[in-house]
Amino acid sequence: MSSNSMSDPRRQNKILRYKPPSSDSNPAMEDPTPDYMNLLGMIFSMCGLMLKLKWCAWIAVYCSFISFANSRSSEDTKQMMSSFMLSISAVVMSYLQNPQPMSPPW
Amino acid sequence: MMGIHNNVFCMKILRRISQRLYAGVVRMYAQTYAKPYARTDARESADHAAAKICTSHHVNWLGTLRVLAGSSTGRNLVMRLVLTLPTLLLLLVVPASCGRYDDFDDGEDLAEFDDNDFAEFEDMSEDRALEEEEEEEDSTPSPRPTASVGDEEDDEAVVELEDSHDDFEDAETPDEDIKYDTEEFEGFEKSNPSSKDPINILTVPAHLQNSWESYYMEILMVTGLLAYIMNYIIGKNKNHRLAQAWFNSHRELLESNFALVGDDGTSMEAVSTGKLNQENEHIYNLWCSGRVCCEGMLIQLKFLKRQDLLNVLARMMRPACDQVQIKVTLNDEDMDTFVFAVGNRKAMARLQKEMQDLSEFCSDKPKSGAKYGLPEFLAILSEMGEVSDGMMDSKMVHYLINHADKIESIHYSDQFSGPKLMQEEGQPLKLPETKKTLLFTFNVPGMGNTSPKDMDTLLPLMNMVIYSIDKVKKFRLNREVSREPLLANLTGCQFVSLTDWLVVSGHFSIAPGTVLLVQKILYFPISIDSRSSTNIKSTKSVLFWYFNTLGWDLQTCLLSIWSCR
Repeated sequence: MSSNSMSDPRRQNKILRYKPPSSDSNPAMEDPTPDYMNLLGMIFSMCGLMLKLKWCAWIAVYCSFISFANSRSSEDTKQMMSSFMLSISAVVMSYLQNPQPMSPPW
Repeated sequence: MMGIHNNVFCMKILRRISQRLYAGVVRMYAQTYAKPYARTDARESADHAAAKICTSHHVNWLGTLRVLAGSSTGRNLVMRLVLTLPTLLLLLVVPASCGRYDDFDDGEDLAEFDDNDFAEFEDMSEDRALEEEEEEEDSTPSPRPTASVGDEEDDEAVVELEDSHDDFEDAETPDEDIKYDTEEFEGFEKSNPSSKDPINILTVPAHLQNSWESYYMEILMVTGLLAYIMNYIIGKNKNHRLAQAWFNSHRELLESNFALVGDDGTSMEAVSTGKLNQENEHIYNLWCSGRVCCEGMLIQLKFLKRQDLLNVLARMMRPACDQVQIKVTLNDEDMDTFVFAVGNRKAMARLQKEMQDLSEFCSDKPKSGAKYGLPEFLAILSEMGEVSDGMMDSKMVHYLINHADKIESIHYSDQFSGPKLMQEEGQPLKLPETKKTLLFTFNVPGMGNTSPKDMDTLLPLMNMVIYSIDKVKKFRLNREVSREPLLANLTGCQFVSLTDWLVVSGHFSIAPGTVLLVQKILYFPISIDSRSSTNIKSTKSVLFWYFNTLGWDLQTCLLSIWSCR
């Protein structure tokens, strides 16, 4: 029934190269977390810069970290670095403008 | 002027009397306390002691001399008696005389009768007149204690001395704004004026305070970030270790079965890389190829997102486990046409809804596998009963029973096209590409808390996969029950709808109408093929459409025939 243990099942001539599955094939299967987190991080850092809200800037830093942790290796690092830099600059600018410590919302 | 001279004279007398009085008191004091001297010259020694006491109390040196001069006690007693009466009178006079000194404004007059200490203030300006007055006020109480010493007790004298001492100190450090006696308001200087003004306590801004405690929120945030980074590193390393452990345990089996183990598709030649592709921090791929019966095998190690702290926290609420997904793609000749799935009940229900081929060819409800001896929680989705019988041979059942907890789903399909795609209305039906595939999803034991050792338990499952590949290759359905390969790709409904369109837009001519009618009649047994009785749904729908359009075609055909007659 199964292949004879004596014969080698390997066939050198039947080798097929690996083809990475294209993203069109199953767009729903892909994890949307890194993209969402990237977007959220940018929105929060913009809010933090414009409205001078410190907590926004801190959440932006967290979002960019989460996005980095969930990112696929195929994604380019430029976008990751830009979101990092944006969030860190939001935090720094908020503190330069107003060095007082952040007050908790409660 | 006369008044002033009178006062000066009085002052001098006052001084002498006070000195003598004081001397007498001191001798009395000495005699009382200098008793250790028992000799006849006790008086002299007493006087000497008195003189010493006098000097220790910073008494006027004139008084001391007098003490030393007057050695007999009798003389002193008489002196004392003589002096008591005038002293009483003087006590009455002194406050009056002191009161008069307040009227003095002229610094020069004061300087004449006073000690030489203040002679330098003769040519003072008016600004310092006040100071002089104060100094005079300070100095005037000094003769007072000497005058009143005779009558008053020792305590009073001491107190007075202290007062004069303090006054002298104040004289040396003139303070222009003092309107009250400083000795009375020691320590209250600052509070007195402020009690009238409203106290306005300003809060120092927090960033100017010298404390890190006010920045506790920031410290919390940074700590959270550090915790996230730590978790990222730890999770990434754990996932990597698990992947390596899996690969190390399976390497031998794979290398004995496949010519190419590990390929990332980038290198020019097809050479085994011999290692996993890291797609993500939690997904690892391995491509194996070069074997009989199959095109290739893609193994995906889908670990939990241990590198993401949010995911770790979410998993505490909802436990999940690592998964190993194996997808074997087969050549056309390697597999017969059937769709079959077996696995967890929940997984089967989910797959039935999600997967295009399962929803199409298999029944709605997963069937129990008790017929084959499978545990209760395993269910079967099959196109035909014969397929189930063919697949569930003894060895397979043995595998399933032994490793039932690790099996999530096993899916054999010749029409595999992935999950159902959402088709929009109005668009032409796009037929998805299908491929003959065997899909295996295994759960890694441990429910998240896996250790590298657990990866060895998956090795028998890999053996099952290899066995399945060979088995599927050999499995052949009976000819009559299998689907026709020609129209296998088109479903009944799809074909009928196509013809519907043609009929409606037809030109009522004989030829197309009859051709279509003939096709319909011919298609009938093909579309309603001998699928199992469980396939009622598609049969019904096909029948419905068939007869619906058959009526139309018949009408069209008849019309065309009659029109052309």
